[in-house]
Amino acid sequence: MTIVETQNLVKRYGDLVALDHLSLEVKEGEIFGLLGPNGSGKSTSLNCILSLLSFDKGEVKIFGKTMKPDAYSIKRNIGIVMQNVAVFDELTVYENIDYFCSLYVPDKKQRKQLVDEAIDFVELGEFRKFYPKKLSGGLLRRLNIACGIAHQPKLIILDEPTVAVDPQSRNKILEGIKQLHKQGATIIYTSHYMEEVEQICTQIVIIDKGRVIASGTKEELKAMISMGEKITVETFSISSDQMTALRRLPGVITAEYADERLVIKSEKETNNLAAVLDFFKNESITFGRIYSELPTLNDVFLEITGKQLRD
Amino acid sequence: MPIFKLCLKIFRKNWSSIGVFLVIFVSLSCIFAFSYSQSSLSKGFTQERAKVALISKEKTPLTEGFRMALAKNADFVTLPDQTEKMQDALFFRKVTYILVIPKGFTKDALNDGTMKMEKRVVPGSAENAYIDSIVRQYWHLATVYAAHEPNLSETQIADHVKRDLSTSTPVVMHDQHAASADSNFITGYFNFVAYGLTIVMIVGIAAVFIVLNRQDINRRIICSPIHSISVNLQIFLAIIIFALFCWTGFSGLGIFLNLKNQITAPIGYYLLNSVVFTLCLSSISYLIGNLVSNRQALSAIANVIGLGSAFLSGAFVPQELMNQTVLKIASFTPTYWYVTANNRIAGLGAGNWAETKSILNDMAIVLAFAVAFLILSLVIGKRRRMYA
Ligand SMILES: Nc1ncnc2c1ncn2[C@@H]1O[C@H](COP(=O)(O)OP(=O)(O)OP(=O)(O)O)[C@@H](O)[C@H]1O
Ligand SMILES: [Mg+2]
Repeated sequence: MTIVETQNLVKRYGDLVALDHLSLEVKEGEIFGLLGPNGSGKSTSLNCILSLLSFDKGEVKIFGKTMKPDAYSIKRNIGIVMQNVAVFDELTVYENIDYFCSLYVPDKKQRKQLVDEAIDFVELGEFRKFYPKKLSGGLLRRLNIACGIAHQPKLIILDEPTVAVDPQSRNKILEGIKQLHKQGATIIYTSHYMEEVEQICTQIVIIDKGRVIASGTKEELKAMISMGEKITVETFSISSDQMTALRRLPGVITAEYADERLVIKSEKETNNLAAVLDFFKNESITFGRIYSELPTLNDVFLEITGKQLRD
Repeated sequence: MPIFKLCLKIFRKNWSSIGVFLVIFVSLSCIFAFSYSQSSLSKGFTQERAKVALISKEKTPLTEGFRMALAKNADFVTLPDQTEKMQDALFFRKVTYILVIPKGFTKDALNDGTMKMEKRVVPGSAENAYIDSIVRQYWHLATVYAAHEPNLSETQIADHVKRDLSTSTPVVMHDQHAASADSNFITGYFNFVAYGLTIVMIVGIAAVFIVLNRQDINRRIICSPIHSISVNLQIFLAIIIFALFCWTGFSGLGIFLNLKNQITAPIGYYLLNSVVFTLCLSSISYLIGNLVSNRQALSAIANVIGLGSAFLSGAFVPQELMNQTVLKIASFTPTYWYVTANNRIAGLGAGNWAETKSILNDMAIVLAFAVAFLILSLVIGKRRRMYA
């Protein structure tokens, strides 16, 4: 079943086209990753989906119904976690979660249980009575998430929940999202960290300049590009003749040398690592580390757009 | 009603910053009440004595009588008849009133002549007014006697005038001023309330909006299943509760401090006027809450607006003593109309419909301000939400 569907969304800010005929489809039970560099239109698309922002063209459907600012029955089943922390400094951790939960669940007893569960979920038990000002950045992010999901919505929308978070908290957050998914929620997750998206998302859409440039599972995405292997060699000196020779090796797509680092990209199923090693030995070039990697989503992005996902 | 409860919670959390203003206001009011009761008990109505130099170039029974008549309200200072010396004396406030009677003045005056006494004064000294009136009365009476009873000698005229002046001395106060003995305190208090109420309301209400209008919190509320009309109603209700709470506190304090004065003043009018003003302040605060998003700036703005409008509008100093231009500027603030209405209420006699009408008129202007500010803030609020 399709949970969220957008068709040809267009959003303009004056001359700037923030969303350019953006069509997305999120199916039930997915962790849907929206991956794109800064300013690519991730937040804008979420805001349009949630009717927080009016758009110039297109249509948004959630749970099969058209989303509008007054579609309260749809809103009841959505939880949002925005890019910026949105909690009340005047309220404690517990009160904050309780307050946002009360917007969805009027019943006090039922709510108490939900809030307790949410607090356990983000592991803020010992901070219940803390005011947000007293929490570290990572804890604050976790509180922010708890406020968005305490009412146990069917659809959870998270906009870069791990920005500026230490690795420990980040892993907790990612684990939490997986757990929410296991409990049956459909999740839309935006990020410009490809590692995160690769780690948790079951379905990925890469966008740039408000346009979808690729979509599929991470395997599908990687299969889309011609590169199958990336070999990196740390070395101090290599001549241009040697570079030319390297590029002539079978299956090599590109070989680039910069910052004492040689990067060789080769086609799928070439397994060039042995060949490269032999080449270095024969030419008696001294080298440090040498390693081979499978392509990342960054490589996918790079190959499609010609630029890095993160600059 | 989660949003309503939240607003009340934020009001409570802001109690400390509001409390500071309350303490200041209550102590000022107490000082105010205390000093008022002191001044009204001990002083009453006394004529001020002026320092007068009377230089007479002739000595007639009438000029001597005149000197004695003046002596009741003046302390005489001797000065030589030299312009420069006189100016110095005025400049250094040795005298505030110099009167030179030219030679032949008495005769000329009794014959309805045109000769004038030469008068120099320190401008703006209140006590000179009494001297002026004595001068006018004395010579007026003398001329009247001379005109109607031509047989009287100058000595006799002087005696008659002296007798008349001494019988007509009692001061008759206008009804209105007698009533104001009580209403002065309560009027002053309610005028003064303009200051305290403005600050407390702005700080309290705007603080709530600063929180609610924070973009991401606002988004969470918009994304929730609570109807937008319900959201606004809940906020509105919370504001009304807070406003009534403040109003009750301030007017309660006023009535309490006023207990020892007899309540003859139409308290109901003061209460009505201040309720209307409170409503207006609610919508001003709503506007400020929509415009300002920083807490420190808020308390500065509240102070500037509170003190500024109260000062310009004559909440501290009676409007009669204020510069007309200042008052013209002040009339662009609701505070001015609130204070004006209070002052009118103070002078309100029973059954004075015309005056009641102008009081209601002032209140209507304050209400109009309230509506204008409300519309303005709704427009701004809407624009902000669209760009959210
Ligand atoms: N209110 C606005 N007015 C004008 N332009 C805007 C506005 N909001 C966003 N934009 C522009 O729209 C584009 C998309 O912005 P958006 O915030 O959706 O990007 P994003 O993918 O969420 O980026 P980030 O990773 O930085 O959050 C950007 O170029 C941004 O400058
Ligand atoms: Mg964003």
